[in-house]
Amino acid sequence: MVRKNKGYITLFLLPTVVLFIVVYAVSIVILFGTSFTEWSSGRKPIFIGLANYIQLFTDDSDFRQSFLNTGVWVLLQSTIHVAIGTVFAIILNMKEFYWKFARTVYMFPNIISGAAVGMLFLCMLNPDFGAVNSIVRLFGNADYAQNWFMDYTTAFFSVTMTWLPYAAVVTILILAEIAAIPESLFESARIDGASELKINFYIILPMLRNIIGTCVILAGTSMLQKMDIIMMTTGGGPGNETMNLPIYIYKTALMENNFGYSNSVGVFLIGFGLAFVLLCRNLFRIGSSQN
Amino acid sequence: MRILKKGLVVLKYGFVLLIILLSLGPFLWVLMASFKTNAEILNNSLGWPKSFRFSNYVMAFKIAPLSRFYINSVIVGIFGTLLNLLLLGMSGYVLARFQFRFKNLLMGAFSLSLLIPGAAMLQPLYLTVNTLGLYDKVVGLIIVYAGFGLPVSLYILSSYFLTIPKEMEESAYLDGASFIQTFFRIILPISKPGFGTAGVMQFLLCWNEFQFAIILTTGNQSRTLPLALYYFKSQFASDYGVMFAATMVVIIPSILVYILLQKQVVSGLAAGAVKG
Repeated sequence: MVRKNKGYITLFLLPTVVLFIVVYAVSIVILFGTSFTEWSSGRKPIFIGLANYIQLFTDDSDFRQSFLNTGVWVLLQSTIHVAIGTVFAIILNMKEFYWKFARTVYMFPNIISGAAVGMLFLCMLNPDFGAVNSIVRLFGNADYAQNWFMDYTTAFFSVTMTWLPYAAVVTILILAEIAAIPESLFESARIDGASELKINFYIILPMLRNIIGTCVILAGTSMLQKMDIIMMTTGGGPGNETMNLPIYIYKTALMENNFGYSNSVGVFLIGFGLAFVLLCRNLFRIGSSQN
Repeated sequence: MRILKKGLVVLKYGFVLLIILLSLGPFLWVLMASFKTNAEILNNSLGWPKSFRFSNYVMAFKIAPLSRFYINSVIVGIFGTLLNLLLLGMSGYVLARFQFRFKNLLMGAFSLSLLIPGAAMLQPLYLTVNTLGLYDKVVGLIIVYAGFGLPVSLYILSSYFLTIPKEMEESAYLDGASFIQTFFRIILPISKPGFGTAGVMQFLLCWNEFQFAIILTTGNQSRTLPLALYYFKSQFASDYGVMFAATMVVIIPSILVYILLQKQVVSGLAAGAVKG
């Protein structure tokens, strides 16, 4: 049968292989190859060895700031957001008070485009008419009213807030995992007289190690992509207060026309992501059996 | 003990309320403001609009080429999804069912693509698309999005194919069906739920994508809705009501799709996420 199907197998795979080459393989070759060159639009790349990388680490404060911000956001997203998502999953799993409504609404920001989420927050936090400042003034503390996205002291915090709703994906994954725990386990615990709180802490949570590890990886790596919300709200500013690596790549490549340099940042971004994934896999012993 | 229990309940309700407020609040507030005049927005930003006028929505379509962006988004969404599902349906089936040389190499390469953050590929893709003569063309976006959804669709579809019993195909072969006939007449129809899940995920990707759209297009010819918002930001700088209306025009279809196809979206997010 296999022999007869050989032609069909090739025929069925070929289009996807072409797509993969066009979108991924060629990109990766260009990315690595040109990261060792000086290259701008319309010119031929000139090989300069490790000069781009040396400059990145020794003489580029914008890059350092972008890297630092990206790192902090990866850390925040993979801890606080995973914690929020997990707590919410456990609450939703109790199936009380309008839980279906809560579950549905909670997903809204994950369905609409990041640009739209950015727009919503931009409006909410607008210094002149935004709801947040209006509420602050309503309670009489006009001093706390801010130009949230453009003030050096609040910009980083405000951008971080816009990502809170993305904890929903964690909740979904964990709800699915809880649903897979056999009911008999809970029943025997209840018969032994365990309270709901104890069941959550001693039965459900320990069984979630693998999936929580996966969520940490997912939430963290998602921060290596984030561009749309930052572009909508702060554009990386004020100064480079909310700049991250994707925005920095965009700026050096398409605004400063510095392709070779921008691609060395791209290589660094991939390396950073890989290191993070490997670290988490070891930390949570993903793939190994329970305990 | 009783106080502790009460405190926990308060905490629980408070947490849920906060999450609902955070997810729904901005959406409702902008929806409300999209019916207001500029003066109302500035003076009465928290209040109800005096009357529900749709003039902001009319203006939004007049000031900006919103309908052009809309058509582009619909075209990119539909064809980006169809192309992705057709190609990955075919290759996913072969990868799930048959043993052949280079299989492991292919699987490895395809899953490696998961580890490449899109942002790293910005400039290389710009170069590829430019070289192919597809810069600022809707076709360019369709191809890039079909490729970008490769790992997730492959995962969802091939795990679905694995659940189909082999006997189905064997009896089809015995009845004299060819490979192509078996795939299109037997496998595709049974796999509808799998294609539904992958399709919803892929459509949302095409509909919401921002970073490739911004580097692969210029002008208004081939831009999609998320970019429309980015440009409205400055165009509508002094016309808040219209800006709000434009935002709603972009958001509402996604929310409607979600409410209609909740099951597929949720299972898609879970499947896509585990792999990602």
